[in-house]
Amino acid sequence: MSFLNNYAYYIGAFGLIFIGLYIILVKHNLIKVIVGLGILDTGVNLFLISVGYITKGTAPIFSRPGIYSERMVDPVPQALVLTAIVIGVAVLALALSLAIRLYQHYGTLNLRKIREQKW
Amino acid sequence: MVNPVLLIAVPLGLAFAIPLFALFWKDAAKYISPVALGFNLVVSLLLLPKVLENPIIVSIGGWQPPFCINLVAGPVGVLFSTIIALVGLLVSIYALDYIKEGATEKYHMLYLLLLTGATGVVLTGDIFNLFVFFEILCISSYALVAYLRDKAGIESAVKYLIQGAVGSSLLLIGIGLLYGQFGTLNMADIARNIKSVSSISVFVPMVLIITGFGVESAIFPLNAWLPDAHSSAPSSISAILSGIAIEVGLYAVSRVVFTIFGASGILPFLALLGILTLLVGEMCALSQNNIKRMLAYSSIGQIGLILFALAIATSYGVTGGLFQLISHTLSKALLFLAAGYMIYRAGSPDISALEGIGKKMPLTCLAFTIGAFSLVGLPPFVGFPSKFLIVRAALATGEAIFTVLIGLALLGTVIEGAYFFRVVQVLYFKGGKVNPGRKEAPVTALIPMFIFVVLIIVVGIYPKLITDVLNSAASELLSRTEYIKAVLDSIL
Repeated sequence: MSFLNNYAYYIGAFGLIFIGLYIILVKHNLIKVIVGLGILDTGVNLFLISVGYITKGTAPIFSRPGIYSERMVDPVPQALVLTAIVIGVAVLALALSLAIRLYQHYGTLNLRKIREQKW
Repeated sequence: MVNPVLLIAVPLGLAFAIPLFALFWKDAAKYISPVALGFNLVVSLLLLPKVLENPIIVSIGGWQPPFCINLVAGPVGVLFSTIIALVGLLVSIYALDYIKEGATEKYHMLYLLLLTGATGVVLTGDIFNLFVFFEILCISSYALVAYLRDKAGIESAVKYLIQGAVGSSLLLIGIGLLYGQFGTLNMADIARNIKSVSSISVFVPMVLIITGFGVESAIFPLNAWLPDAHSSAPSSISAILSGIAIEVGLYAVSRVVFTIFGASGILPFLALLGILTLLVGEMCALSQNNIKRMLAYSSIGQIGLILFALAIATSYGVTGGLFQLISHTLSKALLFLAAGYMIYRAGSPDISALEGIGKKMPLTCLAFTIGAFSLVGLPPFVGFPSKFLIVRAALATGEAIFTVLIGLALLGTVIEGAYFFRVVQVLYFKGGKVNPGRKEAPVTALIPMFIFVVLIIVVGIYPKLITDVLNSAASELLSRTEYIKAVLDSIL
């Protein structure tokens, strides 16, 4: 069980990443694909957070007495994740607005039926 | 001394100011992008002679690298930012008249954001910052592909967005893996810690990062989005996507391979992928009836050739690759700009609808012809010296694999010649059923095309003009230790 304890976050993160990729590759409905993108994003963010996480760690505030650097959580991945979340939100919002337009044009969200352009 | 930060800060600030200006004066929007890009061009040209001697390292926030986000304005970065500003300026002049429908202020804002993202990618020295600027570039290009809101545009934007978003996620996983091992995001600091790529813990992030950038730079198995996106976007955007966006992706790939990982082992594989990309692109282009789709496939082919030249990884090879990159940027931007008004006047993007249009729009068609000849590699245009350099570099390596591959590349060039000459023949030597009403493109479109033509011919006749810059850019890409030393001077 110690393996699970040590790597629980990584297992969860890569689980979410693979679920997201699976949905994007297999599902036909554009909304489901966008949900897949969201899950993929969440998995990547969880992975980034867990890179710098320490169990029962504290915030890295050096001015407060009684806190040592070994117990501090790495703040850099958290800053990265904030940025990555914002980027993810922008992509999802754009994807959803494109989905609305796509439905207006084709009357369907099934990506297998939308095949105007081919190689 | 001009600060390279201005190259990013000024267009970014002006891009977000565009909707504000547009509240008071609707036409202000379209004049802001030329102003911002003109400023960038001047600053880049001022910086260029300085960075040839010493790269300028800008530390943001008052910390020394690797503890801050830093910009590295070396020969490569400033060379690219000059090209981005130049092509961006000319295309934004073209767009003054070309973009009439829809929410024009949003077009101009996204356009400026796209070019800001591209400039940021080539100047930054921090790998996460690279990712952020890359996303700025990608998100604005997804939106701009769908700008016309027609069936084809929306469909290709959806495809582009899904593939691009998956690519970006892979890229972010790669960055996370690197941070987990080395505890730093500074590219020079990561490079300092990587001694070889043979261990699996370095190889996996490298593959993830190259795949992530490979989607945007349209390397062969990852380029399914490109022909749709480049052919459905407005022509001015196609010119930027083909001329700037994929080149910036290729820059990122080469920066990762050469500087961060120093991975000489995968170069033959990349050369092979490059030639595959070239052949696939050229073969598909040959069978197209839509002129913009043909140009889009031809971009895939050219990207393959540039990737091949960069993967030769000798001083000649990288110089040739960068030269070919510039020649492709100038020629393909010109081709898309000319094709934009040809399609607009003919009313259809089919090549058959363009029969005899050369007599009605002589200047536009002449520009198209010059762009096509330059891309094929005929002297005295810029495509000739660049392709010549690549062939010479491939033969100079003396290795059998590069000799065979350059033979295949020349085969690709022959195919390229076949479809471009076919179009040129249709433009001038066919027809009879031409409507009398067609006229020349407006002057705001002719001026940028004329400048592109002049650049193509001048650099083609006198390549020495830019070879100094290209040589030092190539040596920056190839000498990893110099880059590390320049950035981390204070702590080493």
